[in-house]
Amino acid sequence: MNARLARLIDKVQPREEDFRAPAHDEKVTARLGLWLGIAFLLCFLTGLLSHAVQKPPAWFVWPASPVNLYRITQGVHVLSGIAAIPLLLAKLWSVYPKLFARPLIRSLPHALERLSILVLSGAAFFELATGLFNVAQNYLWGFYFPSAHYAVAWLAAGAVLLHVAVKLPVIRRGLTRLDTPEPPGHGLSRRGFLRTTYLAAGAAVVATAGATVPLLRDVSPLSWRSRGPQGLPVNRTAGAARVTDAALDPSWRLEIGATRLSLAELEALPQHTADLPIACVEGWSQTATWTGVPIADLLRLAGAGTDRPVRVTSLERRGAYRTSILPATHTHGTLLALRLNGERLTLDHGFPCRVIAPSRPGVLQTKWVHRLEVL
Amino acid sequence: MRVVLALVGLALLGYGAVLAWEFAASRTVNAVEGAAWFVGGPLVHDGLVAPAVGLAGLALTRLVPGPWRTPVAVGAVLTAVLTLLAIPLLWHPFLVVTNPGLHDRDYGAGLAVALGVVWLAVAVAGVIRFQKAHR
Repeated sequence: MNARLARLIDKVQPREEDFRAPAHDEKVTARLGLWLGIAFLLCFLTGLLSHAVQKPPAWFVWPASPVNLYRITQGVHVLSGIAAIPLLLAKLWSVYPKLFARPLIRSLPHALERLSILVLSGAAFFELATGLFNVAQNYLWGFYFPSAHYAVAWLAAGAVLLHVAVKLPVIRRGLTRLDTPEPPGHGLSRRGFLRTTYLAAGAAVVATAGATVPLLRDVSPLSWRSRGPQGLPVNRTAGAARVTDAALDPSWRLEIGATRLSLAELEALPQHTADLPIACVEGWSQTATWTGVPIADLLRLAGAGTDRPVRVTSLERRGAYRTSILPATHTHGTLLALRLNGERLTLDHGFPCRVIAPSRPGVLQTKWVHRLEVL
Repeated sequence: MRVVLALVGLALLGYGAVLAWEFAASRTVNAVEGAAWFVGGPLVHDGLVAPAVGLAGLALTRLVPGPWRTPVAVGAVLTAVLTLLAIPLLWHPFLVVTNPGLHDRDYGAGLAVALGVVWLAVAVAGVIRFQKAHR
């Protein structure tokens, strides 16, 4: 029975030489690999940056200007990941015949190489699939996404480098001129397959980039954001954060050391207005006009220095983003905002007041602020 | 050059393996679901997606007449990619948190319009190629 099954499988499965389309030419593979490598490199570096901004090591300094810096790096992170989806699928289609190369394993190095390809493919799909579902806030998993996405990123980066090292002679050969004669085929030519892939990558970016690129806001049909209340999307509502009662309580006071300020007292202080973006780790971003009291003014009012990091605590009782630490580099450019686009903040946008700092991930722009502590 | 690349690659892989191990060892759900997502990609792709692509390509070269072949192939690729990107927005088996301004557009209509534009372009390109071939 087993022998018969084995014969049947052997009969129906394709062989490497059955794939004769120009898409499987190594010149095509090398070019797709190059572009996929560039997309992965951009994605990896911007991902590391975002990780460092959120969990800064002692040596890491993130500048407060330009104010759009994080918005751009995180936009590049998400869009290079989007572009990598068609590139990865095309690259894998280009090398798919190799899956059927026989013998399955020729030697120990060959076995290790095939294993490294499995790690590469697994890690690449893991990053792109979890990233794509995560930006849609569609959590098909029970694990904590940032830790998983971060760990597997290192696996992907290592596997890519190892793969490039192994394939370097083939890559060099493959990147030579494309216009050598190719056998007449029935479908797409080498160049046709490459152009189709690039077109698909471009279409994927345009279809989603409206989440962060203002010009494409009303063009991208698959952008994961719309306009939102007061012209700005909300990533966590007051209801979800369970702060509604505490935020509306008239006895709310902002605590800075021993100083207590009511909302009316905050509104009576000199107000500043600034155009600053909210830039979410999930890739969407939006500039808005904020009015409020500079954090530095509040620290001075409370008799504290302005050259130390500040811990900001929300009214939220629990949650990973209940507190944030504003680095000393940012205390001068940051507002404790009371108004958004000319109106008082709504509850979902952080009423009575929220932090809005230049060039910081949205999750660190703490809403429903309750306390500032100089560290 | 190759040796340096390979060694750096192995070092990064090793660091990733340590992080992945810490992640997997901390909770059962991390290990089980993490492994499923890791292995799932290559399995679904190599076993289902790639054969489907191959058969679709084969059908295309057999059934679609010459001048129409390239535009239809390009249209099919764009349709597949745009549909894939729309899946997380259209299909959510578990409760998705309500956040005003996020994932609240009509993505079915958006996808339909995008695909309409794609196939309109396919039709235009096909007619032009067909007329050129028959002149």
